[in-house]
Amino acid sequence: MPRLLATNAVLTTLVAFASATATFADIKLNGAGASFPAPLYRFWVSEYQKAHPNVKIDYQSIGSGGGIKGITDKTIDFGATDAPLNKKEIEGLGGADKIIQFPLIIGGVVPAYNLPGVDKDLNFSGEVLAKIFLGEIATWNDPEIVALNPEAKLPASPITPAWRSDGSGTTYVFSSYLATQYSAFESTVGTGKQIRFPLGQGGKGNEGVAAIIKQTPGSIGYIEHNFATANRISYGAVRNAAGNFIKATPANMSVAGEASADSLKGDVLAANIWNQPGAEVYPISAFSYIILYKDLGNLASIEEAKALTAFFRWALSAGQDRAGSMDYAPLSAGVRSRVEASLDRLTFKGASLK
Amino acid sequence: MRSQGVGQLGRWYSRIMFGVCVGFAALIIALLSLVIWYLLAIGAQSVDLAFFTQDQSGDPTAPGGMRHAIVGTLVLVGLASAVGVPMGMLAGIHMAEYSQETWLAKPARFIADVLAGVPSIVIGILGYELIVVPMGNFSGWAGAAALAFIMIPIVARTTEEMLLLVPNSYRAGSFALGATKAQTILRVVLPAASGSVVTGIMLALARVAGETAPLLFTALGSRFLTLDPNQPFPSLTVQIYTYATGPYEAERRLAWAGILVLISILFALNLTIRVVAARSARHLKSN
Amino acid sequence: MSQAASHPDRGPAIPPGSPTAARRAKTGLGDLALGIMARFGAASIIFMLTALLFVLFTAALPSVRQFGANFFISTQWRVNTLEKPAIGPDGRVLKEDGETVMTTIPPAFGALPTIYGTAVTSFIALVVAVPLSFGAAIFIVRVAPRWKIAGPISFLIELLAAIPSIAYGLWGLYVLAPFLRDWVAPTLQKVLGDIPAFRWMFFETITIAGRLQERPIAFTGRDMLCGGLILAIMILPIITAVARDVLRAVPRAQIEGSLALGATWWQSCWGMLRYARAGLFGAVVLGLARAAGETMAITMVIGNNNQIAASPFAPAQTMASLLASEFREAAGLHRAALLEVALVLLIMSLIFNVVARWLFVGGQSRSAAAH
Repeated sequence: MPRLLATNAVLTTLVAFASATATFADIKLNGAGASFPAPLYRFWVSEYQKAHPNVKIDYQSIGSGGGIKGITDKTIDFGATDAPLNKKEIEGLGGADKIIQFPLIIGGVVPAYNLPGVDKDLNFSGEVLAKIFLGEIATWNDPEIVALNPEAKLPASPITPAWRSDGSGTTYVFSSYLATQYSAFESTVGTGKQIRFPLGQGGKGNEGVAAIIKQTPGSIGYIEHNFATANRISYGAVRNAAGNFIKATPANMSVAGEASADSLKGDVLAANIWNQPGAEVYPISAFSYIILYKDLGNLASIEEAKALTAFFRWALSAGQDRAGSMDYAPLSAGVRSRVEASLDRLTFKGASLK
Repeated sequence: MRSQGVGQLGRWYSRIMFGVCVGFAALIIALLSLVIWYLLAIGAQSVDLAFFTQDQSGDPTAPGGMRHAIVGTLVLVGLASAVGVPMGMLAGIHMAEYSQETWLAKPARFIADVLAGVPSIVIGILGYELIVVPMGNFSGWAGAAALAFIMIPIVARTTEEMLLLVPNSYRAGSFALGATKAQTILRVVLPAASGSVVTGIMLALARVAGETAPLLFTALGSRFLTLDPNQPFPSLTVQIYTYATGPYEAERRLAWAGILVLISILFALNLTIRVVAARSARHLKSN
Repeated sequence: MSQAASHPDRGPAIPPGSPTAARRAKTGLGDLALGIMARFGAASIIFMLTALLFVLFTAALPSVRQFGANFFISTQWRVNTLEKPAIGPDGRVLKEDGETVMTTIPPAFGALPTIYGTAVTSFIALVVAVPLSFGAAIFIVRVAPRWKIAGPISFLIELLAAIPSIAYGLWGLYVLAPFLRDWVAPTLQKVLGDIPAFRWMFFETITIAGRLQERPIAFTGRDMLCGGLILAIMILPIITAVARDVLRAVPRAQIEGSLALGATWWQSCWGMLRYARAGLFGAVVLGLARAAGETMAITMVIGNNNQIAASPFAPAQTMASLLASEFREAAGLHRAALLEVALVLLIMSLIFNVVARWLFVGGQSRSAAAH
């Protein structure tokens, strides 16, 4: 018995010692939020760590809502979200002058499906997608889908919609886009980070929805483009404002972001880039944002603040070049310079970080 | 009970029900084998040395290993027991030895039984509200605290039960020799029951090592091997859950390997515990 | 479930007023210290429960105040606000300056769908697990001792309890769900699909485009049936173990007496079951408590759709899976509503555990009186 207690005492002392020493050598930063950019951010931090071995950044994918909540509660150092902050959330963080929000990467939401026997890429329109998720289109061989895909042999099987059961910027982007395409969508289920669809299955994170699609024949869900490509899930083309059926690629998503550079003002930078005009634009594109407090006093030291800022500057330059190889869409030059300007205004307890 | 004259029908019915009972027991064993065999078979395909030597890389197509998660679970369980075992034992000692002197013992016993049945996710939420939010970040401390919360009632009850099994003659003899109550408890009663008490503690540890829900909102998770509980902390169970619910093949394979390792550890622990328990029970009875 | 000072195995209690009791009264510093620490330990257990109830209740207060008793009968769980066109007194959409006037419908939360999901999955779990467990318990107590395998069988069944919850979740997701989706559901549909009395199993009524429509249920394998079956496997060990202990406590006189009167084997077993019914009911309640509180396994196989549907092939959400899905991101009223659900779950499990304990104590005093 005394031995047991003694071993416990030793263990606790060891841990206390380790925790004391760890903070001296390494810079440990925690971020959490959107599941869409999670693979890219984790890839970025491991690449950045190769050049800066003592900077350890942890990113946990818990959904955009979780990222906003985490940075509001100050339980994390930076939050990531696909849905820009709304008025209430900005108030919760202390007001628009206390924070900066900036886009770090562009993504696209694709309609991914599991239809055994159909190997051609299907075409969808925003209205058809809205009706599918509202349940108004019930089977794969519905006339409206057939009209868009005359050459595909669509089965008569029922469609199972798959959606996000957690708070999600992907849901926000997808529902906002569908609201612009089908008038009944807004009043039936509304737009937002977490909405109730009348039928189908819910999954946690992009990961969860992708898993449902992969395991359920006849299902269709909305996931981020890179999740579909990384897991070889079929996804369809969507008709854009110009009338062309576009299948998402990094190039046609970046283009969607270009036009918005001029509208990014202040330090809470946000712009909706879905349904943009242009012949080759992917219609369901969106920025993914990072939220930071303007004064990084919530971090432990000025070294941490400098390290975090340096990492984001790297992500905005060298990181963007690597993003394409992971199927993410980089920001255009105009957007990047706007973001850099905001980063220059970060402080630590009043001291500038430049 | 019915008297004579059951008749052929009754006897056939009895035989059929006999078969049903045997069948049900066999069915349960079969289900167990089915589940375990599947988990072990798939896991065995995915386990390799890298699993134990590497941490999580950033790349979902080559995720590395789960060394950080294994160490994380060991540390969390260790920290939890640093608080949970002494507190639980003290409570158990009180309920067994001091119950006639205070009004605490009866409600404590009742509540300990009841607390043991609380869903662990509720305890995780408590940990979030009480520790994560005021502290300002997800941490290993919060995770360990949630695990300790689960551990204390279990350890308390098993300690009490085992202490109660020690015959009163031990205590009477100790008093007769002039020992104080504290000396009696610590030097005589507790050592006599030590085998079974340790068994109870190990069972609680095994139970807590397999918990996922209370760590989701407290320790969160991390891809780094770390000994610093002030930061988000990795654990085997949460890491398995994160990988298993994702779409990346390579990560899922790692999750299966993790299950294999986790189950092997827990089974080995349970087996050793029961062997030790059987031996010490025989020892106590022979006295 | 032990008693206080006079335990049957530990011999007579120390009589008060005896010299031995007087010796106990001698106190040293060590006595004081241990006494205080032990008291502290016991008190902390009581404190833990109080803290749990207090923290959850205060955090859930905003939701309690906003929704009141309606929380338990409302089927709405809407996290976002809805913008609906305002309808004027003439029944037509209101327009102002040519623009449609929109009314904002705020978020609304109600626990009924999750209570329903918990109830149905637990019910399925009990229906499957209780007969299996009781049968196995009878086997262990009446048959296995003759074949000397009582110990190993008990051990193997308890090994089921050592499998962590996520392992069951993974197995359910990758083995049971596809099996149900590809074999069980289609077969049942072929056999029962045309019988009108079973129509509710294969069709669901949903509100689409403002009207109620009947749709055939698409089998995904992740539904209440899968959840219920996984829970059944998970509660088998606890019900079997408790039932076995309860049946073991039935006095041999009872069994032998009935056999002497000419009862068949099964009739004497039935007699045992009747005799021990309080304890057996307690075992069932404990299993129910475990099933209702299970989180990880059920979150992975239940379909995560917070709705009320009649068919076991429809997805649903239990209280625990709702918390696992939504708690991390919730804020404000949503978070308070989730905490209220957590409070309901907690109180439910407390009630189950209290009832089970009361049944056991009742059963024990009954068998003690029989001596």
